[in-house]
Amino acid sequence: MKTAGISLADACAQAQARIEKMPTRQKTVTCPLCGEPFLSFGDLTAHYLAVHPEAVAPVEVRMTVNGRDCCLIIEPQMTLKEVLQFHLGLTGAKQMCDRGQCGSCTVIMDGKPTLSCNVLAADCGGKTVETVEGIAVQPKWRPLIDAYCKWDAMQCGYCTPGFLVAAKCLLDRNPHPTEEDIKEALSGNICICGTYPRHSQAILEAVSYMVKGGEQNA
Amino acid sequence: MPDTTGVNGLREEFRVVGKPNLPGLTSYAMATGVAKYGTDYTQPDMLFAKILRCPHAHARVKSIDAEAALLIPGVLDVIQWDDPVFQELGMNPIGGFPKPSYLNQEAHYEGQEVGCIVVAESEALCEEALKALKVEWEVLPFITDIKKGTDPNLERIRGPELTQGEAAEYRPEAGMATSEGYVLMTKHYPTDPPREANVSWNIKVDGNPEEGWKKADFVLEYDVNIPTNISTIPNPPASVAWWEDSMYKGPGQKIHIEGAPHRRESIMSMYHKSSDEVVQEGLFQGGKYCDWGLRMAQEVTPLLSKRFGGRPVRCCNSREETFDLSRNERHMHMRLGVTRDGLITVVEDNTLVDNGAPGSSTMGSVSDRDWGGYYTLKCKDITQKFQVVDSNIGFMHTCAQFVPYNWDSITVAFDLIAEKLRLDPVEVARRNLHGPSSQDDPDPVPSFEKSVEVGKELMNWDWHPAGTKRLPDGRLHGTSFRYAICPRHSFMDYFCKLEYRDGVVHFPTQGPIAGWFSTECFTMIAAEELGLNYEDISVDYDYREKHSDQAGGSDGVTGHGWIVKECANKLKRKILESAAREANRPEDAYRGVFSFPMPPSPLKGCTADELDIVEGKVVVKADPNRFVPFSRATRENVTAEFGGYSPKSAWVTGFGRILDTMNTSWCEVAVDDETGEVEILKYIVVPDVGKVIRRTSLESQIDQVVYFSQGCQLLEEFVQDPETGVKLNGNFLDYRVPTTMDVPEVSKEILELRSGNGAYGASGISHNLANSHLIITAIHNATGVWVDPPATPDRVLKALGKCEIGGEA
Repeated sequence: MKTAGISLADACAQAQARIEKMPTRQKTVTCPLCGEPFLSFGDLTAHYLAVHPEAVAPVEVRMTVNGRDCCLIIEPQMTLKEVLQFHLGLTGAKQMCDRGQCGSCTVIMDGKPTLSCNVLAADCGGKTVETVEGIAVQPKWRPLIDAYCKWDAMQCGYCTPGFLVAAKCLLDRNPHPTEEDIKEALSGNICICGTYPRHSQAILEAVSYMVKGGEQNA
Repeated sequence: MPDTTGVNGLREEFRVVGKPNLPGLTSYAMATGVAKYGTDYTQPDMLFAKILRCPHAHARVKSIDAEAALLIPGVLDVIQWDDPVFQELGMNPIGGFPKPSYLNQEAHYEGQEVGCIVVAESEALCEEALKALKVEWEVLPFITDIKKGTDPNLERIRGPELTQGEAAEYRPEAGMATSEGYVLMTKHYPTDPPREANVSWNIKVDGNPEEGWKKADFVLEYDVNIPTNISTIPNPPASVAWWEDSMYKGPGQKIHIEGAPHRRESIMSMYHKSSDEVVQEGLFQGGKYCDWGLRMAQEVTPLLSKRFGGRPVRCCNSREETFDLSRNERHMHMRLGVTRDGLITVVEDNTLVDNGAPGSSTMGSVSDRDWGGYYTLKCKDITQKFQVVDSNIGFMHTCAQFVPYNWDSITVAFDLIAEKLRLDPVEVARRNLHGPSSQDDPDPVPSFEKSVEVGKELMNWDWHPAGTKRLPDGRLHGTSFRYAICPRHSFMDYFCKLEYRDGVVHFPTQGPIAGWFSTECFTMIAAEELGLNYEDISVDYDYREKHSDQAGGSDGVTGHGWIVKECANKLKRKILESAAREANRPEDAYRGVFSFPMPPSPLKGCTADELDIVEGKVVVKADPNRFVPFSRATRENVTAEFGGYSPKSAWVTGFGRILDTMNTSWCEVAVDDETGEVEILKYIVVPDVGKVIRRTSLESQIDQVVYFSQGCQLLEEFVQDPETGVKLNGNFLDYRVPTTMDVPEVSKEILELRSGNGAYGASGISHNLANSHLIITAIHNATGVWVDPPATPDRVLKALGKCEIGGEA
């Protein structure tokens, strides 16, 4: 069906492209302090010992993000939110409050909703992380995205991915939520634009569609 | 004023306008996280910048020793306020900044950018460098308690350079249109008393107050206190900028900046660049709520990038650094003369208001004086005395959800008069509200009567005197009511361009995409007028385009929508003229591919007047079976432009003395006088929006303004340490904005009386429902005591005399 503006298919394709484009392994490693390039993590570690002995050296972390195995060399103070954005180029997890109060950076880690601004990426070794982009590429969840857009469960759209991830988590554990269940599940997400009732409307409609076995083709 | 001067303003049949569940043009991008806002941009080899923030309420940087900071590996630069590089900057035409330096040496509130900017390889290193700076501060006297700030013996907190222009200070953002044209309101009148210490005055007298007092049977005296609230814009201001080679101007001559959508002209002006030298592709602005000011983090990155050979530089505010004010503190001491019939004969508003840090908007303070609720009263004798106190509380770019706050003093007045006379406050309002044409017009506008009728029914309205009703569960029951006019823009110059090209209508716009779905509304209007579907219009987002979604929310959409409607009709006419011209070309000129003869056009022989566009076809009106598909209407490129003002709104031309569309809001609360908890049982809004253009976003705008109002009245409290003036709750845990668990269900019955000045008689909604006292008034009706917002349980109990706070009973 012809849609105005950016279609569901366009958006999902962009999400897919972002995931495919993620640099899961760094070909060269740049020193975050002086910008010098190295070919391996070992070389970088040696460089730290020699040139920046008082600085805390980067660490190597392996995790699965949106189904892709990633080996990342990161500074130990970086949050998962920062690594998703600055290392992997994913923009779905948003920065709003900086300290786990708004839900805009919500991702799913090992099946649980997680505030990525409150988690050190260095602690995510071996974890499986799913972001809103990862949800968008799964046909199963397209009715949810579609319902969000049909019901305007967004205005400025900044907090929306966080809500959508929280909604997906809710539906994973409770496929038939009531409106009260939805309110409670989304109570950790802040929207300043007044969209709260729209989320319930959208989720309930998506549930109704999904119960009928519908998967939306993008 | 209904839409009678434009084309199809009184259209009866709508195919597209008002149609529900049409996804927003960029909604799928926003929902899936692929939409990029200023905070989201990253670039390879990117540097980071942070700006020093003042830790004091008022202080001057005497010196900065950056030696230790610069020794940190990865810290590249510390640029101080007196660096000559700042001299190269031009004036930002929107926000402006004081000369000679872009970066101030003196900060007027805690958290203000001041002194220096650090640049490093990472944000963490920037933070480390800021901590390593040795800053010598000269801590200056400050005012964060505006009542104490009126003391004439206090030292002045602002130098004369910041106050000398007051008498003639113009405030474009408070500009209003009159029948004579565009008028800029001054902040002060020449007749105002002279400034005294930190206090300046603004006094406006209408009519003859002395006569008004003589007509009164009793005097009503009361206070309306409105606290400071915070602009909780969702996305922290941020930008990333770098320099690119220009094909025409040479290497490194072009700025690419992301994160300042809609303000490319400001960047051009600051950096002395022409339009083709500033690239800005991202259009997602995030929530701004009429806060159009750019922050330093959105402006300064090109300067920093240039310093490092064009390397991309990112600067992003934290949440705490985004705690600008959305509403300044205000205390209104009211005196009203009232007859025993409940008619207000004279109004005296003695307002004490925070002037904010230098440069703050006057929205919500002195700019209220000309256009608020007072002029909706039959009473013509009105005195407004503004005592404006300089402060170091914070900076307000523009009052978010601004509505003149003298609506709230009227809401409270009606409640108090009702209480005294044992008269329904709706009846008190009806007796005082004048009619549509003037203050001498006795009968309220139909919009008001209809809104009241519907609101009463939805509420099961049964007003009772304060403190006289308990619910079955023992809680106190209270109700309240307010009216307002529906504000809308007609004082802004709008523009629209539509183009028929290769069979498709294009609507080029620079956005921004800011959350009120205005482009969607405009597209629906254009489709309606062109006989097309919403999906048939191609919206082309392009930062170089002139069309911009000016103004905010539905207020702007309605006036701007009128321009789009006119433009669409202009395009339609031109398409039909072109189609007729093409159909009537001589046969030998009518050639198909490789000059094979084409059959005569079904439109041959018709003039443009005999054609119409219906359901995607150009048809002969007299014989709809003769048509060509709209996509083959003409091979010409057809462009229509339309610019200017929408019809003037009564609200603007009459400053409230002329009324058309109105609305009412109603609230019902339960107050637990044991715990102090307030529950909103009903919140009902009955607006006359004139004509619904896009229902879901309209309803969300209503929800947003109600949640804003609820948050300010029940939850949100900005706290500063009285000893230091430092804010204590610059985060979303301690400054509580409503969540899904807090907000009430907002029942809406939307009226469409078609009497607004926008397209099809639409009017705005987004600002006029904002209030600071509807819930507070309902709490008063329940308890018989006034609780200043936010009415948190402890404050309610304190007002009931059931607890003590800080030793004050």
